[in-house]
Amino acid sequence: MIVASVGNVLVWAVWVGAAFACLGSAVAVVSFTNPFYSALALIGNLGSLAVLYLLQSSEFVAAAQVMVYAGAVMVMFLFVIAYVGPRTESPWTGGPSWQAIGAVLAAGALLVEIVVVIGLKAGGELAHSHHVGGTFGTPSYIGRLFLTDHLLAFEITSIVLLVAAIGGVILGAHSRTTADEVSPL
Amino acid sequence: MTGPSTAWYLSVAGFLFGVGALGVLIRRNPLIVLLSLEIMLNGANLALIAFARHLHNGDGQIFALAVMAVAASEVVVGLGLIVALNRKHVPLDVDRLNSLRG
Amino acid sequence: MISGAWICLLSPLAAAGLITLAGERISRRTAGYLATLSCFVAFGGAVATFVGLLGRSGGQRAIVSTAWTWISAGSYRSGLAVMIDPLSVFMMLIVSGVGALIVAYSIGYMDGDKEERRYFAYMALFVFSMLLLVQGGNLLLLLAGWGMVGLSSYLLIGFWHERPSAIAAAKKAFIMNALGDATMALALFLLIKKAGSVEFGILGGQYSSTVATLVALGLLGGAVGKSAQLPLQTWLPDAMEGPTPVSALIHAATMVTAGVYLIVRTHAIFEQAPRVADLAAGLGAGTLLVAGLIALVQVDIKRVIAYSTMSQIGYMFLGVGLGSYANGMFHLMTHAFFKALLFMAAGIVIHALANEQDIRKMGGLRQLMPRTYLAFLIGSLALVGIFPFAGFFSKDSILAAALDHGAYGYVLWVVGLAGTFLTGLYTFRLLFLVFWGEPSPFVREHFHALKSDVVGLSLAVPVAILAALAVVGGWIQWAPLWHPIETWLRTAAEPTVSPKSWQEWMTSALALLFGLGGMYVAWLYYGTRRYAVPRYTFPQRVLEHKFYFDELYDALFYRPTVWVAKGLYGWIEDPLVDESSHSLGQDTRDLGRLVARAQTGLLRTYALAIASSVAVLAIVFVAVR
Repeated sequence: MIVASVGNVLVWAVWVGAAFACLGSAVAVVSFTNPFYSALALIGNLGSLAVLYLLQSSEFVAAAQVMVYAGAVMVMFLFVIAYVGPRTESPWTGGPSWQAIGAVLAAGALLVEIVVVIGLKAGGELAHSHHVGGTFGTPSYIGRLFLTDHLLAFEITSIVLLVAAIGGVILGAHSRTTADEVSPL
Repeated sequence: MTGPSTAWYLSVAGFLFGVGALGVLIRRNPLIVLLSLEIMLNGANLALIAFARHLHNGDGQIFALAVMAVAASEVVVGLGLIVALNRKHVPLDVDRLNSLRG
Repeated sequence: MISGAWICLLSPLAAAGLITLAGERISRRTAGYLATLSCFVAFGGAVATFVGLLGRSGGQRAIVSTAWTWISAGSYRSGLAVMIDPLSVFMMLIVSGVGALIVAYSIGYMDGDKEERRYFAYMALFVFSMLLLVQGGNLLLLLAGWGMVGLSSYLLIGFWHERPSAIAAAKKAFIMNALGDATMALALFLLIKKAGSVEFGILGGQYSSTVATLVALGLLGGAVGKSAQLPLQTWLPDAMEGPTPVSALIHAATMVTAGVYLIVRTHAIFEQAPRVADLAAGLGAGTLLVAGLIALVQVDIKRVIAYSTMSQIGYMFLGVGLGSYANGMFHLMTHAFFKALLFMAAGIVIHALANEQDIRKMGGLRQLMPRTYLAFLIGSLALVGIFPFAGFFSKDSILAAALDHGAYGYVLWVVGLAGTFLTGLYTFRLLFLVFWGEPSPFVREHFHALKSDVVGLSLAVPVAILAALAVVGGWIQWAPLWHPIETWLRTAAEPTVSPKSWQEWMTSALALLFGLGGMYVAWLYYGTRRYAVPRYTFPQRVLEHKFYFDELYDALFYRPTVWVAKGLYGWIEDPLVDESSHSLGQDTRDLGRLVARAQTGLLRTYALAIASSVAVLAIVFVAVR
């Protein structure tokens, strides 16, 4: 029991740390003026999210998150930010006057609604979670699901990735028109 | 079960979603907008994982992986657009990209 | 006989249609010949019908021949029918006969006018309309003919449509006619509703006195409008803007007498509404006096004759209002002869003087146009009613009939006699001013005589024929001694008054005396110029302004109508109707512009819209569940 309670305290401590890191880095992404700093903050966000996934017995997803998201996608972001160059702009400026207020209201409304719904259901269905065994979330578990129940999703996802790759190549390719000719965007 | 219950994870997911939405709505640099979009997607992923754990159903994790893949593809295309914009010397400001006005 | 009646009716219509369709393929003269021929054919048809009707005995002289059923609705049944009875045949003969002569005269009168074909088409149309009016077999056709006659009159008065005065006169005539037509139509509607049929037989039915009075009033309104009696008389002098043959045919011989014909045809109704009949007689008497007075100061040759027409129709109204139908119709016939004669002779004068119509510029034409002078003299003597010319026989019987009508009749009798004096005065004033004396400078300068070519012949021959008729036409009936016309028309309209012989003789003597008196006074002032014409400014001014009727109608009807129309335009038409259709388009565009402002082009506002919508929808879903 002491082990369990110590384990409980450990879990809570890790959760608190990861959650705050996650939220803090999300706010940082939105508030930094320099996009480079925002990208770095997002990497932090992704990392803390991986920790949260681990807490939820989703080891494979956590690993995929770090490798794919933090490893590949964010590197791509950083490359483009470096390519585009230094561009700073403060968050709340520009646009119609009601844009900022409206944004806060809308986002706030969404947040409040989600919290309210969670709160309403917290006592009911969200109270008792199932017990999960050790194989839940392991790569073999995910793999079996991908190749049996969700084979179609698996294949289509790969096609989506292919299409995106092609799109990326086309968008990034040098235009073959001459310098004075203005080609459509 | 040990640690915070599913409700806590869902609150964090909701908060992430709200912050990401706020970022999309108030930032003008399209790169930052894309980053905020990523935050929103991650919030959704967290909710999926939490529910997968809560209901002992692996489908949530599969879905989260698919979301990750699609998010990656979307970032590829979005960044390609930004690079193309930059090459045409179009200002990188979503407020200035308003030629589809009525 | 029946086919004669149909030929009579349809021949002028055929001519009108042919001339219209042929257009420029026929020469102008040919159009004239065609129209004249059709009128003579119509006259032939009328004579055939007359002869056929003579062969029958009195009681069998009312035939209705139906071509086909035109309207068949419930219990109403009306066909395209002609009525053949003594009254209609009487009118057919006059209309087609005098009409044929006048159309023949037009060939010469309108020679050289660029639009002769249109003129002859209209003339043929008019003759057809008038024949339809008198021959129509039921009340609907009567109304149709009535309206078409008004239309033809409008078309012919405004024939020279480049002249604004002609257009105005045409409009005035049509509108005043329409006023009368409206009352008449209402009266006929009431009658048809009460009787349930449109045949002429319903005229003999019994009606309550209210209905009869209303119907008679409406019919009187129509008659007054068409015949230019008080109070709807102001259009007739203006109608002289039309060509002279038009004035002769329409405004002397035929259309203006349609009112008299109507009263005789519907006499049964008037007999059931004696007050209205008295009103008709009173209006006739008033008109004959007013017109006679106005004619004393007129300086346009045609206008004098027009007022004379108005005055003579007043006599006819007097006659038929009193119930002396046959005498009224007889005067209609003789009047057609001598009035058409006078107009046509005046037309020759006008032609000879290069279209000058002001009698102050004329004078001394007696030596220059002796035959025309003779024709004019015959017409004038017939008009005044001098024995043995036509007017003597017809007019005096009407006046005598007044003596059989009680005290009111005596008043009318006196008025009629005064009118005779005036008739003598103004007629011979005209004659003396135009023909006697020395040729005026204007005449010396512009006179050119008629040649003996087709033009000249076509002008001269009808005048000669009518002059002969004006002499002998009256001899067909001399009331105390022989009265075939009265006998002829008895089956159609039984007279309700019968003056005694001594009243007839006395009236004739007095009328002759007064007429001669008028002539003598005119001779004194205008013939020998022994005395200067007295100038009393106030009566002169009143007469010159035609008793201010035009000004009265202008103030009573025209100005308020214009004011109301302007008000309606300013308050309703322009702001509501015009603006609404204008603002319909404008407001739609403004609304579109307003909505388009939502398309800012800014990505962030669209995203905000989506986010807000999601927030709202989430609340909805949560609340509903």
